[in-house]
Amino acid sequence: MTLVLEAVVFGILTGGVYALMASGLTLIFGVMRIINVGHGALVILGAYLSFALLRSANIDPFVSLVITMPAMFLLGVVLQLVFIRPLKEDREALSVLVTYAIALGIEGLLGYLFTNNFAQLNAWYETASFAVFGFHIAYVYIFGFGLCLAILAAIFLVLYRTTFGSAVRATMLNRTAAQLVGVNVDRVSAIAFGIGVSTAAAGGVIFGMTNAFNPGSHYDLISRLLTIIVLGGLGSLRGAVIAAVAMLIIEDVTAVVISPVWASFAFFLLLVVVLVVRPQGLYGIRVRERI
Amino acid sequence: MRSPARVRAAKWTALVIVVVVAALVPVFETDPATVNIAVFTAMYVGLATAWNIMGGYTGYVSLGHAAFFGFGAYAFGLVLAHLGIQAGYEPFVFVPVAGALTVVLALVIGWIALRTRAATFVIVTIAMMFMIQLLAENLVGLTGGGSGLSFPVPPWSGDFFDTPFYYAMLVMALVSLAISWWIRRSKFGLGLLAIRDDEDKALAVGVPAHAYKLTAFMISAGLVGMIGAIYGYYVTYIYPQYAIDPLVGISLVLMVFLGGLGTLWGPVLGAVILEPAQLWLAYNFGASRLYLVVYAAVFLVVILLLPRGIVPSVGDLVKRLIARRAIGPSGTASTSSDTHTVARVQSP
Amino acid sequence: MRKPVSLAVTGIVSVGAFGLAACGSTSPGTSGSPQAAAPITIGVSVSLTGDFSGDGKALVQGYDMWAKDENAKGGLLGHHVTMKYVDDASSTTQVVTNYQNLITQDKVALVFGPFSSLLTIPASTVTNRFGYAFPEPAGGGPSVFTRGIHSLFFVQPAPVEDNLVSFTQWVLSLPASQRPATAAYSTQDDPFTQPQVDKARSLLEAGGVRTVSYKVYPAETTDFTPLAQQVISANADVVILGTQEPDAVAFVKAFQQQHYNPKALVETAGPDQGSDFATKVGSANTEGIMVPAGWWSSAKTPGNATFVSEYIAAYGGTPGGIPSDAPEAYSVGEVVDQAAQKAHSIANSALIAALHTGTYQTVQGPMAFDSLGKPNGASFLVQWQNGVTVPVYPPSAAVAQPEYPKPAFSG
Repeated sequence: MTLVLEAVVFGILTGGVYALMASGLTLIFGVMRIINVGHGALVILGAYLSFALLRSANIDPFVSLVITMPAMFLLGVVLQLVFIRPLKEDREALSVLVTYAIALGIEGLLGYLFTNNFAQLNAWYETASFAVFGFHIAYVYIFGFGLCLAILAAIFLVLYRTTFGSAVRATMLNRTAAQLVGVNVDRVSAIAFGIGVSTAAAGGVIFGMTNAFNPGSHYDLISRLLTIIVLGGLGSLRGAVIAAVAMLIIEDVTAVVISPVWASFAFFLLLVVVLVVRPQGLYGIRVRERI
Repeated sequence: MRSPARVRAAKWTALVIVVVVAALVPVFETDPATVNIAVFTAMYVGLATAWNIMGGYTGYVSLGHAAFFGFGAYAFGLVLAHLGIQAGYEPFVFVPVAGALTVVLALVIGWIALRTRAATFVIVTIAMMFMIQLLAENLVGLTGGGSGLSFPVPPWSGDFFDTPFYYAMLVMALVSLAISWWIRRSKFGLGLLAIRDDEDKALAVGVPAHAYKLTAFMISAGLVGMIGAIYGYYVTYIYPQYAIDPLVGISLVLMVFLGGLGTLWGPVLGAVILEPAQLWLAYNFGASRLYLVVYAAVFLVVILLLPRGIVPSVGDLVKRLIARRAIGPSGTASTSSDTHTVARVQSP
Repeated sequence: MRKPVSLAVTGIVSVGAFGLAACGSTSPGTSGSPQAAAPITIGVSVSLTGDFSGDGKALVQGYDMWAKDENAKGGLLGHHVTMKYVDDASSTTQVVTNYQNLITQDKVALVFGPFSSLLTIPASTVTNRFGYAFPEPAGGGPSVFTRGIHSLFFVQPAPVEDNLVSFTQWVLSLPASQRPATAAYSTQDDPFTQPQVDKARSLLEAGGVRTVSYKVYPAETTDFTPLAQQVISANADVVILGTQEPDAVAFVKAFQQQHYNPKALVETAGPDQGSDFATKVGSANTEGIMVPAGWWSSAKTPGNATFVSEYIAAYGGTPGGIPSDAPEAYSVGEVVDQAAQKAHSIANSALIAALHTGTYQTVQGPMAFDSLGKPNGASFLVQWQNGVTVPVYPPSAAVAQPEYPKPAFSG
């Protein structure tokens, strides 16, 4: 049974990373109603940025966030202004294609700059671990999890305690109504996109410390992230966090109890099961939506 | 609104000419490498047209259609293996069997997925696709798992081999187009368009939305499954990650968007532009590693400049030119004679 | 609906696109039947982008070196050799298209194989129906040989399935007091790794080594800590891992993290990547790790010393850092050269006939092929000792004694 306990603990720790990545994605959807399928590629881009800083200037990955998060924020704002805002009509379907094009572009660029060999973010303390309950947990998982909690808490604080946060939530609820009460939805959208992308950078660092990655890794990542935000309810941050942790726990426990090859299947199966019962996801709201 | 008899006759003649030319491609073009490109192009014409029935007419964008493509391929391979069919022309007879099995899968998936709408639906189709891929990989006893599934190999010579497959793909493309055309003219199609415009209103006026959506989904999937079956037979060996490949699913969606979502000929145009271009680019520029970036850039430019796709945008442009040029019945006549000249050569 | 217009536009564009595709891919190839001393082109579809691109580039290095050496000797039976590479982006559709383009449009005289069984199998169907010989360096999974194709030749000493046989023979050769009693297996569900591990398991079980853990995991896994934990908790004497490089590295690091030290550890790939592997796991941690190999940088096989020094001169690095794909590719060329000499012709049919008989000398050692192109040799067992890899089993190929039990991981 230690193995199952281990799997649960591990699921929580890695669930935090996915929660962080998914929160950015669901925030972007909530504010702009677009599915950013390039989010996985942005995570990998963040990981590679830290990788480059590590390789050239020997900056510790966690420390590099001080540079990469603001840089990615700016990138996000620029992307939104240049590629997303011009999509006036038919946002959802076209946004998938546009963000996919961005993902491809990022993948190609990363492949050119870094080759397709697998990379990983190494730190001198990465094999240090402490023992608990009969197994060892590496410190990097704890640091990563702590960072996720910190950033998620920051996002919640911003959303619920600041004026800007109120503007964001208003836009998420009803874009037109928000405009009517004076919210500058364009500015809110751009900044929200920037925030989403900078959380991708943070997620990328933590992901990159515990996983091998290469430019092609974004496909697998985005499929999981999309599944998580649907399970949690599109646009709901709380849902994204809970869904992420739940899915990772189920996945890791399945790997131990049944077999690793079925772990991802359990992940998707959970989504299907929930959707049959509750098509809007855990925390989604049933709205009358145009496609 | 029905156009005058002369225009209808012109349209039909143009169509017949196009089909005949397409059918004669392998006769004119003896180089198998070009026929190979024709095979994949015809494949995507069929795939894009079939997808358009769901995504274009009904408005439900499925990014998981690669699941049906791969499932069709696997179903076909397994049917051939279990029935002991020898390689050659005989397997082509069993392609509809793969299609039927794919329709059953679509019924199951569609029943669950169509409970959701819009963005959720898109993501659910992606999740379903990965589930099918995982099943293909893990049910090793059935599918061969990571080691892949073998198809019987026809003993045709290198020069001839591609030709039967081209005709098979062409037939599938024409069938898909015919079905797409028929749907547009039918009450069923009208219902689908109503669902696309506003599903709740459609329900309110009595359109059996759930049944219609599911039917469109199943038709779309069945066609894609049959095309997948022919693909598997053509490449002679399939693996889970290549048969059920998200990139195939995204490519065919892109083709439809490029050509014009919801139009009849848009998907054809998109496929005919993108597939040969992609194969050619990869062959000649893949080595430079930047071809992905170029592809993405072209992609973005097209989407941002022509968000509705080529066919509607060009159609609007022509409409404006005609309106500026002549007024009255003479405008119609000159249009049809123009197309008569231009549409004579076409190879899908 | 503006059908006439849309039809017209479709028509114009189709012709344009088609014409572009048909005309655009021709390049200055030479005729299909080369006369004496006419230069020839050899076509290869390689993974220059996509999942296999690291190995793809190493293959290109090997092929290029062979072409250079061959031309220095006067060419392949007097024909100057030019290599033409096209990228298959690790995709089935592209690899099928590539070989057809190479053969019928570029009219290459010969073709060599791509990377991995996944791409080799569909490619071999194409080349076979054109009557081309298909010597290939990297497709050796069991399914490659079940297709009834007689023009394919897997240019490595042993079929992939047998790679771990030397390891199992060594384990079972140990005296009973030292022999491990239990074994744990963990492998990717990949046609390269899984057949090897499964065969090793059946051999070891037959020899009395009990299996305490056997896990298969998806090739797309990126976080290996849980899998490593499962192996660790099984607490077996020896650990056999079916890995490629990323997971090989990850398992070693996880074992170190969890202070787990099996008596013997063998991985199907990863430790054979030389200095790349050592840098990633930490040089001290490589001690005692084993890997099957078909080639070793200091092996006394014909032409190997020259190959190694040429490689270092061209691409830098150390002998231990040479990726094994490069000599595998080089061997493909060597085999074709010798077959051409034997048959006095570079026609594909002659080469195919010649390759089915006799033994060929390559930097990987001697090899011979059966009617389905399967090599009949064996790979040997290599172990990291003092920062370099040395062959340790079988005794006929060994340069040092196997280190057993494996020293504990440092730190």
